[in-house]
Amino acid sequence: MISRRHLMLASAAAALAPRMSFAQAGADAGAFVTDFAQKGIVDILAAKIAGAEKQQSFRTMFATYFDLPAIGRFVLGRYTRTIKPEDLASFTPLFEDVIVYTWSRRFSEYNGQSLKVGASTPDGDDGAIVKSTIVGNAGENYAVDWRLRKRPDGWRIVDVIVAGVSMAITYRQEYTTLITQQGGFAGLVAQLQKQVSDLKAQAPA
Amino acid sequence: MSPSHIARILTVLFVCALTSACATRPPAGDVNAVAAYQEANDPLEPFNRAMFKTDQALDSVIVRPVVKGYRAVLPEGGRRSVGHFLRNLRSPITFVHDVLQAEPERAGTTFARFAVNTFIGVLGLFDVATDLGLPYHSEDFGQTLAVWGVGSGPYVYVPIFGPSTLRDGTGYGVDAFFVDPLAWYSRGNGAETWIQWAVFGGLVINIKDETMYATDELKASSIDYYASLRSAYRQIRASEVRNGAPPPMEEFDDFSSLSDLPSNAGKAALELPQTTLTSEQ
Repeated sequence: MISRRHLMLASAAAALAPRMSFAQAGADAGAFVTDFAQKGIVDILAAKIAGAEKQQSFRTMFATYFDLPAIGRFVLGRYTRTIKPEDLASFTPLFEDVIVYTWSRRFSEYNGQSLKVGASTPDGDDGAIVKSTIVGNAGENYAVDWRLRKRPDGWRIVDVIVAGVSMAITYRQEYTTLITQQGGFAGLVAQLQKQVSDLKAQAPA
Repeated sequence: MSPSHIARILTVLFVCALTSACATRPPAGDVNAVAAYQEANDPLEPFNRAMFKTDQALDSVIVRPVVKGYRAVLPEGGRRSVGHFLRNLRSPITFVHDVLQAEPERAGTTFARFAVNTFIGVLGLFDVATDLGLPYHSEDFGQTLAVWGVGSGPYVYVPIFGPSTLRDGTGYGVDAFFVDPLAWYSRGNGAETWIQWAVFGGLVINIKDETMYATDELKASSIDYYASLRSAYRQIRASEVRNGAPPPMEEFDDFSSLSDLPSNAGKAALELPQTTLTSEQ
């Protein structure tokens, strides 16, 4: 939600300075996604290293290219504002584990697919959506949109939208259901801990 | 049995649902829970979860084994042709709704696709049109209603049919009975409804074959598969209604950087406008 402060800043900026040309920023955003995909393919997916090592590299890369704390706050939605700060602090690393272990389960299935980065469009005052296509070797294509936000030190990915389904929204709606139906925030944390230990058990060696 | 029987069965199911189990609305004081309840828009949740369980059981006993057999007898290229054929058969429905949504360009694409794929693509087995720059899209009465401003209504889960909503389920019935030329053809030929049923059965297997990897992945990555599938279904439908455009901005304003967060978190919750978590159509 746009806070009053945001609106004031935005209108002040609009009044004082000409808007940064989006062509420039959009190209940056596309290049950022290309960079992420290339590193992901070369250093992890196609790399001849052990599964555990791939997992570790992905964790580092995820922390670099994604704004995990922002995604975590989005996923908790309204609850971000009402839970205790220490609870929020314990959620973020747990959520990181869920993503790292879920994604890395499939790394060994990589089979030469590539990411074709397409056009970027502005998304709010400080964001961009980068369109892309995963091109499989059997002619199968999947549309993937990347939602980015501009941070002081550069772009960060905040959401991945595959065939219209946003990762962040899906997690948020699932977790909100768990919080309301299964023992509040503590219940969610307990379930996440269990999921992480289950996923760890099937992690690649 | 005919599509009107389906409609009757769906009505019975729906009445059962209304009279048996309704989700309890959270107390008005619990702002977060009320917002979650409204966003999910699933007042029949206990009933839907029971239907979902039935569906999952039918899935492992019937649908999955059939898909396995289908994959064993038909290689990937053949299965893709089946998909193209079934999509092509639906083209008249998409065309009608392109027109009802006042999208002449997309209607033209659908018409050209149907002509090209039927006559050059051997009755639709080959999607020649996509290679000619006429990409596939699908429309239905649920989407038309959405474009006309009808909200999705409550979520409904029907075994074998899968996830739907009151609006989309109604739309499906209208399309199957009134819009689909196959229905008219069947009725004109002495109620030979087996054609429509064969196509329906083919669609169930084809869709399962095409989506199994994705849904298995979603199931494996979620704690509450019912809730994440509900979310994914609503997002896919909303995306189809927007003709593939990404979700609108207001959903994402919470991706603020840390410095934007108010220090007094509890107080901020009271000032939070209702727009943050409103569900889209």
